[in-house]
Amino acid sequence: MSRAARVQRICERVIRAACRRLPEDMRAERSREWSAELPAILDDQSIRPALRRAVRALTYSAGIARTTWQLRRAGRGARPGQTSHWRDGAMPARPANVAVRAVVGLVVWLLVVFTVIWLVRAFPHVHGWQVTLGMGLAVGFDAFCLADIARAGQVRYLPKWAWALICLAQTPGGGIIYLSIGRLGRARPIQPGSGPPGSALRP
Amino acid sequence: MKLTGPLERVLRVFLADVSARRYGYDLMKAAKLPSGTLYPMLARLEDEGMVTAEWEPLPGDGSGRPPRKYYQLTAEGVRAARLELAQAPVPARRVRRGTAQPTPGGAQ
Repeated sequence: MSRAARVQRICERVIRAACRRLPEDMRAERSREWSAELPAILDDQSIRPALRRAVRALTYSAGIARTTWQLRRAGRGARPGQTSHWRDGAMPARPANVAVRAVVGLVVWLLVVFTVIWLVRAFPHVHGWQVTLGMGLAVGFDAFCLADIARAGQVRYLPKWAWALICLAQTPGGGIIYLSIGRLGRARPIQPGSGPPGSALRP
Repeated sequence: MKLTGPLERVLRVFLADVSARRYGYDLMKAAKLPSGTLYPMLARLEDEGMVTAEWEPLPGDGSGRPPRKYYQLTAEGVRAARLELAQAPVPARRVRRGTAQPTPGGAQ
């Protein structure tokens, strides 16, 4: 397989992955549209040598990833001048009680840390089943947090994948930070029916 | 619609030949914009009814490449784009070259 064909395959894969961010009814069409541009880039004789064409095709695909990201953020279909559901105040990005939430999160985290320290001191001879129990609790908590992130329509401050990474990187601290600060909680529309048309994008 | 630099470039490319249908990479090269800037803008212009997109029926060059999507200004888009560009501040180099100066208050 030639390099151009290999590059094209990689780019198509990137574009397909990027299109998964779009609503289902436009995914296939957008993916086809953007993949169809790849031959034009890879055959563009005004860009030489071929390696630069390959780089161009890859940056093109990266731009498509940025595009789908923006389309999703904007809530494709929203009229100009209207902001997305996220920004229009129907669900404040920054809750008024963020300080309270942070303090509660910190207290919970400290409680967990001190409980673990106390347990380790109280039971110096660790048995296998205790380790298994501890690991099970940790994995269970991570799974709970990840499931919550996956189910949530939106999360605060960071993209979902970032929260998922944080939850996995520091057990249980990351999960506690997510639950106290990152979790959106239940939707509280300020005015019923005030959401713009684009808000239908995010169930 | 806020006229940003990239948007202005895209509109100028479209207005250079109103009847021409252009595909994404063609627009990227002509307007010198990355795909991550161009496509969100095209989606917005399409939402606003300024641009229509159409699939080419079948590539005629026999290369077997997949059909592309072509973009074109609508009649309303042409009108709005001319109006926007007429109101836009004239870039310095255009003044120097003395080309394409919109008449003040023109195209109202």
